[in-house]
Amino acid sequence: MKLTAPEVLKYAGDLLGKLARDLTISDWHVVIEVAAEDLPEVALRLRDDKRLSCKYLSTIIGVDYEEWMETLYMLRSQDHSVPVRLRVKLDREQPEVPSVAYIWSGANWHEREAYDFFGIQFQGHPDLRHILTREDMDSFPLRKDARPHRKRRRSGQVTGMDEAVRLPGEPDRRERS
Amino acid sequence: MTAAEGTTGPSSSILHLEEMVLNMGPQHPSTHGVLRLVLHLDGEMLISVDPVLGYLHRGFEKLAENRTYLQYLAMISRLDYLSGIFMEWSYVRSVEALMEIEVPKRAEYIRVIIGELNRIISHHVAIGDFMLNLGAVTPFFWVFRDREDVMDLLEMVTGQRMMYNFMRVGGVRWDLPEDFEAGCRKFLKEFPGRIDEYEQLITENEIFLSRTWGMGIIKPYEALDYGISGPNARASGVDWDLRREVGYSVYPEFDFDVPLGQHGDCFDRYKCRIEEMRQSVRIVEQALDSLCGGPVNLKLPPMLRPPAGDLYRAVESPRGEFGVYLVSKGGLRPWRLKLRDPTFSAISMIPKLTPGYKIADVVAIAGSLDLLMGGVDR
Repeated sequence: MKLTAPEVLKYAGDLLGKLARDLTISDWHVVIEVAAEDLPEVALRLRDDKRLSCKYLSTIIGVDYEEWMETLYMLRSQDHSVPVRLRVKLDREQPEVPSVAYIWSGANWHEREAYDFFGIQFQGHPDLRHILTREDMDSFPLRKDARPHRKRRRSGQVTGMDEAVRLPGEPDRRERS
Repeated sequence: MTAAEGTTGPSSSILHLEEMVLNMGPQHPSTHGVLRLVLHLDGEMLISVDPVLGYLHRGFEKLAENRTYLQYLAMISRLDYLSGIFMEWSYVRSVEALMEIEVPKRAEYIRVIIGELNRIISHHVAIGDFMLNLGAVTPFFWVFRDREDVMDLLEMVTGQRMMYNFMRVGGVRWDLPEDFEAGCRKFLKEFPGRIDEYEQLITENEIFLSRTWGMGIIKPYEALDYGISGPNARASGVDWDLRREVGYSVYPEFDFDVPLGQHGDCFDRYKCRIEEMRQSVRIVEQALDSLCGGPVNLKLPPMLRPPAGDLYRAVESPRGEFGVYLVSKGGLRPWRLKLRDPTFSAISMIPKLTPGYKIADVVAIAGSLDLLMGGVDR
């Protein structure tokens, strides 16, 4: 069964009804915009539907647009080759979105990565901690307002990095520079 | 929360004795780079595993935001250093799609030839390292002997043995040198015989079979659930290959099979890679036959300025779906660049796959997944 992007778009529109805020085709991907609170419901419907059957979550992407933040869920089905992309807009000051780790097991680590880089809080995530950066990292590096480590050190702000690198009894190198 | 609470593997014994925590890595030779596995053991049996990543984190996604589109091309093949061509390919595809550039036909053929040769040497390392993990040293030297031949071909074309920096937005850097085709055809003629040699040495080896047969089984639905792609998923019978499904570049013109496994165990994952090498030989042969004349790149200005927009482009790398999500705001630098690496998903499966096995089997399972930390840690 091969579906085209307009067919998937129409079918997803029928399936989701009012849950989908916006449905578009961008570059042969079907992009569905949903509200953060509706995400688990939409995800479950897309995964369990017989025709769309989006059983494969490719990745979760965080984007910081300065005015708002976004998480994107790249979905795909084995039965038709039209990728489906879920788009959730988040408040930049308090980025929170329900976790989908119980819907796709692979989402677990992708959500940890988005938390690591953007500070997006995935509510209900089983194990939300840093994955690629240090455990005591106190800033979210891919946010547009994140400042490089060196500049922060010049300005006298203490970071977790400086404290952790220093061994007990070793002089504080920050005082010299 | 510790990993022991988070995962529930099959309990190794009824008599639960003292739990031992053992660090495997980050400098362990069988972790393929700098992966650290925190093993929780009951005797020699595994209770749970907690992979720790990030030892090779170089901030590739952040660095993209501070470089022009062309500057970033020089570093992206450092990402997954065994299959650098695919990293470059997926990146230039995304920029080309954003700028709506049509790539010359000859350039597409050259991309396919170089890409498939790169796939062969990547699988060489995958198989060699896997065998080394299992304690077999000879196959490692055999595959590296043949890998050297392909590396010579790639060096002839790109000037580099590993970090190619060969793709350009709108084509490739240079045309193929004159003596490349003869050298490549000679290699393609000899290589299937050498794959048979590997199979004689490995596939029917009793020790190898007992170490891999039925070990670390990934069910097809689990592979999809965890986002596993590439040979790891195809070994489980997930019939998905982006070269065929999406049909990017000139792949639809070629006749090739997508090898599938039946059981999804370590042996099938090895076997899938062997078969993929044979298919790569077929593709390169066809690409050489249909190589047409014409320019190999478009003369574009060094300062590219793609229009505002966002898109995702993926290629079938030797480890699975490698994708680039690119957001442009119309400036000289990408606004956001996300790299989707297949190994990241494969490692997230290890805590699920390994409990109940012995330490030596963890090494076998991790080796069969063909892990490479350069792409995972980014």
